[in-house]
Amino acid sequence: MVHALREVRRVLAPGGILIDARPDSRVLAHAERGAQRFGNLSTNRTELANDRWADRAVAQVVLEKLFKRKRHGRFWHRIPFDSLAALRQYLSEHLRFVHRAQWVVNAATRRRYANEDFVIRRAVRYEILEVRPMRPGKLRSEA
Amino acid sequence: MNHNSVGDFGGVGKQVPVVSSSLRPDPLRELREWGGERLVRGKRVLDLGCGDGRFALGVASLASRVDGIDPDPEAIAAARKNARESGVRNVRFRVGAAQQLPYSEAAFDVVILSWTL
Repeated sequence: MVHALREVRRVLAPGGILIDARPDSRVLAHAERGAQRFGNLSTNRTELANDRWADRAVAQVVLEKLFKRKRHGRFWHRIPFDSLAALRQYLSEHLRFVHRAQWVVNAATRRRYANEDFVIRRAVRYEILEVRPMRPGKLRSEA
Repeated sequence: MNHNSVGDFGGVGKQVPVVSSSLRPDPLRELREWGGERLVRGKRVLDLGCGDGRFALGVASLASRVDGIDPDPEAIAAARKNARESGVRNVRFRVGAAQQLPYSEAAFDVVILSWTL
């Protein structure tokens, strides 16, 4: 990942920016019906590890003074489902989430509303990094 | 339900498979969240890990040029097909790896890693 970010630095013009946006696995996603939370959704271990590697890669190129951090933030993304069964099916095939929700309502409540509309609400993080000018005399291959 | 949050991809989670870029946020909404159209307006943009071109095609009307690159040939074929179907002319897609980008130095003003790292 660090090598890829160095390549990004190479192809960016002076003053150029890198935008890194990805699901925010530091925050639980939720299964919701209207405003009511039905369950929490965790990210699986493999993806958590991948996210940590990505964080370290970004930190590394900032440390190397190839980029400087400009701005970061988070927003919420909603994915709609027309039933609880559809949501469960989605989860069972998902590559990032664990395949079962941690329900915060009881089974009777889940059954009662099973055919209503649900959403998965997940956090998406972003960071904007700006290219730092190359230091004089620094070899191209080092950047 | 917050209409703004779901309206851009209305109901898509109900019909399409899990592994689909259409389950991701709408490109223009993502752009708004990041800071707005000014980030790419008139700029040379590289969408790194472009997949089927979801983001590249979504912002092409704002940018001067968009390049998309992805290691998956099938994704690039889909991106090219999507570009043809949408009539977008200022976007180019190619197969390639992030570790060895086939572009010259300083070729872009903006590089986007949207759900890539």
